[in-house]
Amino acid sequence: MVDIAKVAVIGAGVMGAGIAAQVANSGTPVVLLDIVPRDLKEGGDRSAVAKGAIEKMLKTEPAAFMSKAAAKLVTPGNIEDDLALLADCDWIVEAIVERLDLKQGLYAKIEAVRKDGSIVSSNTSTIPLATLTGGLPARFAQDFCITHFFNPPRYMRLLEVVKGEATRADAIADVSRFADVKLGKSVVACKDRPGFIANRLGVMWMQAAVVEAFERKMDVEDVDQIIGRPFGIPKTGVFGLFDLVGLDLMPHVNASLAAALPEGDMFHEMNRPVPLVPKMIAEGFTGRKGKGGFYRVNREKGKRKETIDLATGDYRVTKKADVEAVKVGSRSLAKLFDHDSEAGRYAWAVMGRTLCYAALLVGDAADEIESFDEAMRLGYNWKKGPFELIDQIGTAEFVRRLEASGLPVAPILRTAAGKPFYQIVDGKREALELDGRHNVMTRPEGVLMLEDVKLASQPVLKNGSAALWDVGDGVACFEFTSKMNSLDPDIIALLQKSIAKVKRDFKALVIYNEGSQFSVGANLGLALFAANIAAWPEIENLIASGQQTYKALKYAPFPVVAAPSGMALGGGCEILLHSDAIQAHAETYTGLVEVGVGLLPGWGGCKEMLARWAKMPKLPKGPMPLLAQVFEMISTAKVAKSAAEAREMLILRPADGITMNRYRLLADAKAKALSMVEGYQPPEPPVFRLAGRSAAAALAMAVDGFWRQGKATDYDRVVSAAVAKVLTGADTDMLIELTEDDLYDLEREAFMGLVKTPGTLARIEHMLMTGKPLRN
Amino acid sequence: MPSYQAPLRDMRFCLYDLFDGDDLTSLPGYEDFSRDLIDPVLDEAAKLCEEVLHPINRSGDEEGCTFENGVVRTPKGFKEAYDLFRDGGWTSIACDPAYGGQGLPAVVNTLVEEMICSANLSFGMYPGLSHGAYVSLSSHGSDALKEKYLPKLVDGTWSGTMCLTEPHCGTDLGLLRTAAIPQEDGSYAVTGTKIFISAGEHDLTENILHLVLAKIPGGPKGVKGISLFLVPKFFVGDDGSIGARNAVACGSIEHKMGIKASATCVMNFDGAKGWLIGEPHKGLRAMFAMMNTERLAVGVQGLGLGEASRQNAVIYAKERIQMRSLSGTKAPDKAADPIIVHPDVRRMLLTQKAYVEGCRALAVWVAKSLDVAKKHPDAETRKEADDLVSLLTPIVKALMTDLGSEVANLGVQVFGGHGYIREHGQEQYVRDARIAQIYEGTNGIQSLDLVGRKMPDGAGRLLRRFFHPVSEYVAAKVEDEVMGEFVQPLAKAFVRLQQATAQVARVGMAKPDEAGAASVDYLRLFGLTALAYLWCRMAEVAQAKIAAGEDDAFHQGKIATARFFMERLLPETSARFSMVMAGGKSMMAFPDEAF
Repeated sequence: MVDIAKVAVIGAGVMGAGIAAQVANSGTPVVLLDIVPRDLKEGGDRSAVAKGAIEKMLKTEPAAFMSKAAAKLVTPGNIEDDLALLADCDWIVEAIVERLDLKQGLYAKIEAVRKDGSIVSSNTSTIPLATLTGGLPARFAQDFCITHFFNPPRYMRLLEVVKGEATRADAIADVSRFADVKLGKSVVACKDRPGFIANRLGVMWMQAAVVEAFERKMDVEDVDQIIGRPFGIPKTGVFGLFDLVGLDLMPHVNASLAAALPEGDMFHEMNRPVPLVPKMIAEGFTGRKGKGGFYRVNREKGKRKETIDLATGDYRVTKKADVEAVKVGSRSLAKLFDHDSEAGRYAWAVMGRTLCYAALLVGDAADEIESFDEAMRLGYNWKKGPFELIDQIGTAEFVRRLEASGLPVAPILRTAAGKPFYQIVDGKREALELDGRHNVMTRPEGVLMLEDVKLASQPVLKNGSAALWDVGDGVACFEFTSKMNSLDPDIIALLQKSIAKVKRDFKALVIYNEGSQFSVGANLGLALFAANIAAWPEIENLIASGQQTYKALKYAPFPVVAAPSGMALGGGCEILLHSDAIQAHAETYTGLVEVGVGLLPGWGGCKEMLARWAKMPKLPKGPMPLLAQVFEMISTAKVAKSAAEAREMLILRPADGITMNRYRLLADAKAKALSMVEGYQPPEPPVFRLAGRSAAAALAMAVDGFWRQGKATDYDRVVSAAVAKVLTGADTDMLIELTEDDLYDLEREAFMGLVKTPGTLARIEHMLMTGKPLRN
Repeated sequence: MPSYQAPLRDMRFCLYDLFDGDDLTSLPGYEDFSRDLIDPVLDEAAKLCEEVLHPINRSGDEEGCTFENGVVRTPKGFKEAYDLFRDGGWTSIACDPAYGGQGLPAVVNTLVEEMICSANLSFGMYPGLSHGAYVSLSSHGSDALKEKYLPKLVDGTWSGTMCLTEPHCGTDLGLLRTAAIPQEDGSYAVTGTKIFISAGEHDLTENILHLVLAKIPGGPKGVKGISLFLVPKFFVGDDGSIGARNAVACGSIEHKMGIKASATCVMNFDGAKGWLIGEPHKGLRAMFAMMNTERLAVGVQGLGLGEASRQNAVIYAKERIQMRSLSGTKAPDKAADPIIVHPDVRRMLLTQKAYVEGCRALAVWVAKSLDVAKKHPDAETRKEADDLVSLLTPIVKALMTDLGSEVANLGVQVFGGHGYIREHGQEQYVRDARIAQIYEGTNGIQSLDLVGRKMPDGAGRLLRRFFHPVSEYVAAKVEDEVMGEFVQPLAKAFVRLQQATAQVARVGMAKPDEAGAASVDYLRLFGLTALAYLWCRMAEVAQAKIAAGEDDAFHQGKIATARFFMERLLPETSARFSMVMAGGKSMMAFPDEAF
């Protein structure tokens, strides 16, 4: 077993550069090489391609780097002068153009410089491994594999790994472990077959969808509604996805897949021409990167949203899809397929065939059905994989439909013989194997999923918005279960109960959930409704009980570890701030965003940030610098775009941890909590010396400056003034010692002042209706 | 014979003192509408209602409309009254001056409408329907249609109708069958049967403009595929001359419980030529433009009839002698005391007064808000006023017609047996008032509109326009030495309303049946709380007037009525609150077979 400590990526295109960035995000040094520019001028930078790629990544959104510091871990170079940099690399990733001659030429150069036992992999998506290693020495072949990343490499969690016949098993293990733990990827083992899993199935699916839609002259919007939510497919749908990846890729991908697949493969039937597409590509309608694709924004007509008409090839105003079959079939795929309409028939034509194909690929692209499901979930963002979808239909029912429409019935479906692909026995999930048995699905070492705990046990406590679970070894896990995990009175009430419960029956508490967002903050709909009916005492009570509960959490006689992933905003951030430690997933987006809706952090967020910055030794003496930092963060609703950025903002403290792989978050958080149990002492309550009115006036002057420059709105001044008042302690001065409770009172009072103001209500309403902040 | 005297004193109190009617002139377009202009309008309207419309109310009820060979005749005197009404310019008072209207503020028009409803609701139906057609046509019709048809609709030469209901479809317009087939000349051929069409056919005007909801074949299903058409009884030449008869005819008229002098027609459209109003399939939107003002107008019908019944009850209770007062003789010179001395009669009269005057204040508040929503220069202020109107529209419609019906019933009760016979006219008010609870969206539908549409809109933004001013008012006045007496009961009712609102919103989101089950009681709770707020405001204004030296029976009466309302009527909110909070299970879990 070799720990990969240094990596090289060759090829600084979108994929290569992105892979290098993600390696850097893990804290691992990485060399990024590309060719010397062909038209290099005298004295020009021979590494300009790689350097340019890094520069570009520092500017693009969503960002490839998790922090500026990560970018510094990338050493750019070129393949003519800097091959020596590969000598001490443990893993060398090739991500250059898909040309065998170029790849093999490069491999020969790599082979000359790389150290013994280092691993080489290709990010190819079209060339078989056996072809890549053909004619190369055994030393190379045994250290070589395919690692197929998805775009963008930071955000797409799927990594397909292909082992060659000669590849060392421990080389695969080493790369897989690094990709899992350090790069946060879910590694799916694939056979050396064209397109591996995700693209083999995904391209077939997209091609079937576009061909069938084109031949039926369907409306693009309808298609995206049909091949969308009913199947748990992102609402971008198929055409939206084409626009995203680029229409110009289509012909290449189809051609290379068609060339590689054997005669008789179902893909060939679907690979029929769609004359509209070459025409669109020729005219520059290549998708979002071009002039638009199946959808476009017509700027000549006031940013009008338009859609192409598949029948005429002309753009028309985008309509809102309202497909009857989707409404009828929203609960049952059978009803959708059976709906007597073009939409119903289309749904089956596309998805029936896609699922049929998935079943045919078992034993070909991979042996395990769960590999297909994981690949489609993580590679195409489907909520359910193909075999989960077939289970939803029922395997027997699905076979009946296949037979009725003359589609082939795959051996695995015969093997299933009417049994589901997945089943739950004794609280454990089992998957169907090739031999017809159901075997318990095991998680890798160091992975603990709440999903599994929930299958196998009953909650310790539970109400409509939250639950408390026993995750073993004396650790309890508090889970939000409300919509978007928004915080409401039920969550606060159960948290309060949980504190008492954990104190009695557990050693430590982890706050964690497996929703796509940790928490989007307080339930604004409830808050706005309460404000609209002038239910002031109820609102004030909610603030007060939240403060008391968070405070009780902070001083509970057991360690509390918060483990966020995704958004942790507003009240969801404040719960992190009141925990003893944070173990954050790398993709955590957190901040105190209350001013965006005209409020301020009322559950101790102002107070905790003041306390955190006050402990920073780096700042120069005096109250203003720390105050200015906290004020800027809160009054601009700054959100960290990664756990690393959250650390820069001091939401994470030095001892807090970051987990790269989403699946490992709960286990890491639990381990952290257990490590704190022995000799645990609750924190000392902080005291605050704040500068009072003069400091508030100084902050107000700064805001006025922004206001004069048009950077702050009229109402920003009002909200900022309220924030400033809390952060400066109102009527106080540096000689007066304020307690935590004093700060809670100030927060609550300021919050209540704002929530009664029309400007705040307008902001909340706008956010609820449009999802965007109102700049009033 | 019943009598009617327009309640101008109270109208002016509501308009000028309670809602600061003098500031109407600050709204752009209303600069001329000072008291000098408004007062004569109200006086003239009162005269017309008292002297022309009221005298033919009972006779019209006795005679009813007649139908013969497709021709409908209104009762004796209606044609002459309509001519006077039209010649006096009353059909045009609330219409746009661009089409020959007088552009009176909605708040003034509302008061005029109340008088018309008190005097003769059946008569009022004819110009009322014309106004509804005017609103739809003027807000959604093409310029060509407007130029051709509006001037004569406005000046009353022609009248209008609203053709929505069909034999199988009333509340649920998605079921409409009437079809409109596009013709080559851009018109449509409209075919279908419409029922319950008020003023569908009559002898008052030379032409009738039917506004018809129909479906263009191939359009979206349900309510999203409904379009609105203008179908004239007679074609109109480009010079405005009356031409040939269109293929629309009255099949029969209904025999009804009340408003008998208003012709309620079955209308048959047999390939009648019609013209699209607004966009295809957007007919409901064009219709809703009219529906909201119509709903306010129907609420005012409840108010008007209640007022008429109340006036007669007061006169009767003072004249009719029967038994002695329980506390000793009050009129020793007579054989018995006038019945007004008896506690229960006083209870009934005060209930009538408190409801009627409360509703009048509510109507003026909403109508004034309508003016602000239309005319105020500031967009935010307009929006706020529009929100308040939207919120209160179902309450005005349902509460005011429910209370109108209750008040008219009390009016019969005060009369005893003499109320039950036709001669005194009290029973007619009961019959006439009954329809207002049904048409223009039943009061059950109004309650659903309140809890299902208005409450969740903007996460309660519409509610804010009522709850915030009341909350601020309560906070400011609850400790007040003089006003505390009135504001404390309001505060209690308001808290009940807040709790009930939170409850209905919460359970309603998960279980719509629960919101539906609570809706009628909730609307009543809301409405009574609104009246309590208005009675506090009225008492406050009256206190100020008295302090300023206007110490008369009117202002004393206001304060005393406010007290009665708080003590004897507002407690109903406590019961309604309990009903809302009890939930709907006892109804919804009940087995259908056991009914």
